[in-house]
Amino acid sequence: MKPLLSIKNLVKVYGKETRALNGITLDFFPGEFIVIIGPSGAGKSTFIRSINRLVDPTKGEIIFDGQHMEKLSGRKLRKERSKIGMIFQHYNLVGRTNVIKNVLHGQLSNIPLYKSLLGLYHHEDKKEAVELLKKVGLEDQIYKRADELSGGQMQRVGICRAILQRPKLLLADEPIASLDPLSANIVMQQLHTISQEKKLTCIVNLHQVDYAKKYATRIIEIKKGLVVFDGAPSQLTDSIIKDIYEGKESQMKLKGESETHFVEKRQPKQLAVGQNNE
Amino acid sequence: MNKQLIHNIPLNQRDSKKIFVFVVVFFTLLILSLVYLKISFIEMLVGLPSFVMFFFENFFPPSVENLQQYIPAMVETLGYAVISTYISTIIAFIFGILISENTNKIKSLRVITRGFVSILRNIPFIIWGALLVYIFGIGGIVGVLALILVTIGFLSKSYAESIDEISGDKLEALRANGSSYFQILFHGVIPQFVPSWINWTLFAFEINVRASAVLGIVGAGGIGVLIDTNINLFKYGEAITIIAVFVIIILLTEFVTNSIRKRFV
Repeated sequence: MKPLLSIKNLVKVYGKETRALNGITLDFFPGEFIVIIGPSGAGKSTFIRSINRLVDPTKGEIIFDGQHMEKLSGRKLRKERSKIGMIFQHYNLVGRTNVIKNVLHGQLSNIPLYKSLLGLYHHEDKKEAVELLKKVGLEDQIYKRADELSGGQMQRVGICRAILQRPKLLLADEPIASLDPLSANIVMQQLHTISQEKKLTCIVNLHQVDYAKKYATRIIEIKKGLVVFDGAPSQLTDSIIKDIYEGKESQMKLKGESETHFVEKRQPKQLAVGQNNE
Repeated sequence: MNKQLIHNIPLNQRDSKKIFVFVVVFFTLLILSLVYLKISFIEMLVGLPSFVMFFFENFFPPSVENLQQYIPAMVETLGYAVISTYISTIIAFIFGILISENTNKIKSLRVITRGFVSILRNIPFIIWGALLVYIFGIGGIVGVLALILVTIGFLSKSYAESIDEISGDKLEALRANGSSYFQILFHGVIPQFVPSWINWTLFAFEINVRASAVLGIVGAGGIGVLIDTNINLFKYGEAITIIAVFVIIILLTEFVTNSIRKRFV
């Protein structure tokens, strides 16, 4: 089968010294639900952001759907980006704009500016936006301002926005790291269900191994900018996990420890410079 | 830990000598200025009663006979403030976008705009007024122009700072889904910017209402002209009435802007 996304020898160096990615080569095939795990600062965020060029890689190739992403710019880059949906740790909704408009932002790249300003989205898009919101249980919040929602609700709006792009590939950067365990569960479940329904290829950054094992069809582990494991969830043994999280054991699990890793996530020291725009 | 340390725990790590030096330097500056300008506090205090006497003898009772004649000048003054705030908010918004790193990635353009805006802002409006009077002669256009220039300077910088504060996260999502620059601007930046935009613009309007009175004194039209002429003609009673009316207008403006703020921000 032809890969949907091919990464070849990807390197990212921040500033002069900080090597976030040390030469990553990976192929991603249609329909896979890939979870990338690894401790904070391992380069997961940089990797996933390099795919849609939110971060410009220093070296290497990113071939998505037959296009060399690293060579694109301007309109062409925007067109390829519109085929890649993205979900963020901090949801990244426009807070003062209402829920349905936030979801419709997923279609901005397909309509001219004046139409988006006048709210003239296609009827099918509006219909699908409402359907998606219904599916994630937010039909009563459609006209609420996004900043009035809870974290879990915001992330579900984020999922709807990404899905409305009708993407070929869905990226999720730590989608549940800022959520309480209950909301995290719901969000992960809905993310998984929807991507299965739409037959989407999904790349999800997580640092909870138990979630990775539950949903992934393939698990990749990154440590110090290198791929240290790539295989089926069943192949991921406890000793491998222990090795990867050496010295950062508190980040492995979610249950009962969500507070701990939440705090650790917020410590900028462990992140590569500029990695998360935090 | 030994006993001495327990008994003597400093609350600051800072060097207390530094603070002492600062205090001495500032105090010397004050003394030097007073000596150089030959200002004596005693003279000020002695002069105070006669000033108060002069004020009450001449400015009271206020003369309200010509109250109706002031109305056009009042409206004129408010008009200046409205027009100048209106025009400058539009131009300042464009400059603000050009100055903020969030919305303008071209560094040279940012620096040039910031420099230009800073010139506008750092020349006091009364000097702009005086300069423009030479160019356009006495009249309303001078007042409006002077206010516009300074307000653009003030608002551009404030707008840019507010745009800078909008977190890049939110714009990142729109960048990631292929939205164009102007779509990110209109759908990501502007909605988040609206509260500060209302706030700064109302603030500028308040400043402009006050400033438009002062402008009259350099001959740039409005209520300031009336105050100035009446004082020059020793019609203190009328002057105090105009001042009182003006203060009421300022208070009303603040009341209105505050209630707008409460409603929208």
